[in-house]
Amino acid sequence: MDVKVKKIDEWRYLIPQTGAMKVPGLIFSSPDLMPNIKSDQSLVQVANVATLPGIVRHSLAMPDIHWGYGFPIGGVAAFSMEHGIVSPGGVGYDINCGVRLVTTALVAREIRPRIKELVSALFNNIPTGVGSRGRIRLSVKEEKKVALEGSSWAVRKGMGTEEDLERTEDRGVIRGADPGAVSERAYKRGHDELGTLGSGNHFLEIQMVEEIYDQEVARVFNLFEGQLTVLIHTGSRGFGHQVCDDFLKEMGAHVRESGFDLPDRQLACAYITSEIGKRYLSAMACAANYAWANRQIIMHWTRETFEKVLEMSPKELKMELLYDVCHNIAKVEDHVVDEKKVTLCVHRKGATRSLPPGHPSLPEIYTKVGQPVLIPGDMGTHSYVLAGTHKALEETFGSTCHGAGRTLSRKQAIKVARGRAINRELEDKGIYVQSRGKTTLKEEIPEAYKDISLVVEAVHMAGLAKKVARMRPLGVIKG
Amino acid sequence: MDFERPDYQIIDHTADLGIIVKGADLKDLFIRAAYAMMDLMVEGDIGEKGVRRELAIQGDDLPDLMVRWLGEVLYLFEAENLLVAKIEITSLSERRLESALTLVHFRRGHHQITREIKAVTYHQISVERKDGGWEARVIFDI
Repeated sequence: MDVKVKKIDEWRYLIPQTGAMKVPGLIFSSPDLMPNIKSDQSLVQVANVATLPGIVRHSLAMPDIHWGYGFPIGGVAAFSMEHGIVSPGGVGYDINCGVRLVTTALVAREIRPRIKELVSALFNNIPTGVGSRGRIRLSVKEEKKVALEGSSWAVRKGMGTEEDLERTEDRGVIRGADPGAVSERAYKRGHDELGTLGSGNHFLEIQMVEEIYDQEVARVFNLFEGQLTVLIHTGSRGFGHQVCDDFLKEMGAHVRESGFDLPDRQLACAYITSEIGKRYLSAMACAANYAWANRQIIMHWTRETFEKVLEMSPKELKMELLYDVCHNIAKVEDHVVDEKKVTLCVHRKGATRSLPPGHPSLPEIYTKVGQPVLIPGDMGTHSYVLAGTHKALEETFGSTCHGAGRTLSRKQAIKVARGRAINRELEDKGIYVQSRGKTTLKEEIPEAYKDISLVVEAVHMAGLAKKVARMRPLGVIKG
Repeated sequence: MDFERPDYQIIDHTADLGIIVKGADLKDLFIRAAYAMMDLMVEGDIGEKGVRRELAIQGDDLPDLMVRWLGEVLYLFEAENLLVAKIEITSLSERRLESALTLVHFRRGHHQITREIKAVTYHQISVERKDGGWEARVIFDI
């Protein structure tokens, strides 16, 4: 299928509504990024999503869009609660994959000589990599509590503070979770994976704030130049994968029975009002909550590791959570469409929520400046902190990009990395990496990703979030 | 593993990884697809001595059966730490597959895991006759 794209302005591109599309596609991008986007199948995927029942206004894509499965990665789509669908493929296997950023009172320059030591200690304390089993073993009964309570489960067990919850999207819990909607298999996979980082593009990174773009907002976010920060990127592990898998299979059969005509089987979906649609949202909430507990626990162990290695007290370290955002999720949210207030189910697959100043869902400390938007780079490249905007709320149901987005396939990346000592190359750039998987480093080489600064520039210029700070990696642990 | 490096092609998918596998007949295709997936996950020798287990899968059609079959092999590793060393397919129709597997316990240090496969997707899934044999196309979530 050949998709026609019309340039609206420098930062916005339209896919006109044709064929079975129910709405047009709208891509946020830039002249620098567009050629790359056109080179894979992601635009076809934007058009495919536009064919789904009950989609509202546009099938949206962020500048980090790339070819996913079913939905494009970097895709956003909102559906009517009455006539619309919910799609497990529109959330992804890694339900509530997300990022949290921890600020510290440390000056990176002073800690630099200790980075290797810190990275090794973190690598030992936080189970990482394929098949990594956690330090926590849960009974099914306890796992169900995690699924219901999210981050607050971890806090209740002494792994965090009330303040951490306040600084987590939705306070680290999606309401309406029903542990009964989750399969035995998901519980089996999840019982020993809580508090594990996993593999692939997930990582934990020690960073330095390299540049501040907006002093006023940075002050509220407690960010300063030269500061040491820690970023954690992971999700719901096997628990979430299994929930997605179970419902894709069930909805696949449901789609065939109800006679939906889908352009791709991975787009399997069900009406939100249907029994299976409701059940999926309840199960998805369980997985989202598991992911929040996971990141909360990993942050707790990170704090412990810093205290031990640096022999400093929590008071001296001041390791405070700046914010935690999810970037693979479907959420029931209130929005204004055609000047009317409506409740929609917003799918963000590889996209981050971006709420403006004054939004009721924000914690009090951020109401004046907007939601912290965390954009992780990949190992070896920068990460960014941005702030949510009114424009995002108006144009993209309060959404913005989530990362750099791949540009090389894994096969190409391995080819490019052949014969190279990636660890060494990164160390020469001042980034110390410890990783478990043999091919991970090669598949995740910096060249495999788009230039994150172009992606961030595109959302900043389009007004979907505004730049606050940029961080540079110093040490990374990877699966 | 008791076979030579399995014969499959990697699909150049930007974010993830896919395979194209060919088989002389359907049984051969399903066996090769599972070996190919194991090859993406584990490097080198899995071993031969293990426990035998029978496994039956149902699907709506051949592509669905393929996703469920590979998903099941993946689940054995994810949930039970078991690697598939040997496969025998005892019966196969469009909607049902029966197999006897030889499974080996995953041991860190002994087995070298190359990459995590999160799931077997339905994205652009196909199982079809081609050039007198069968061909499958499967994309994994990495």
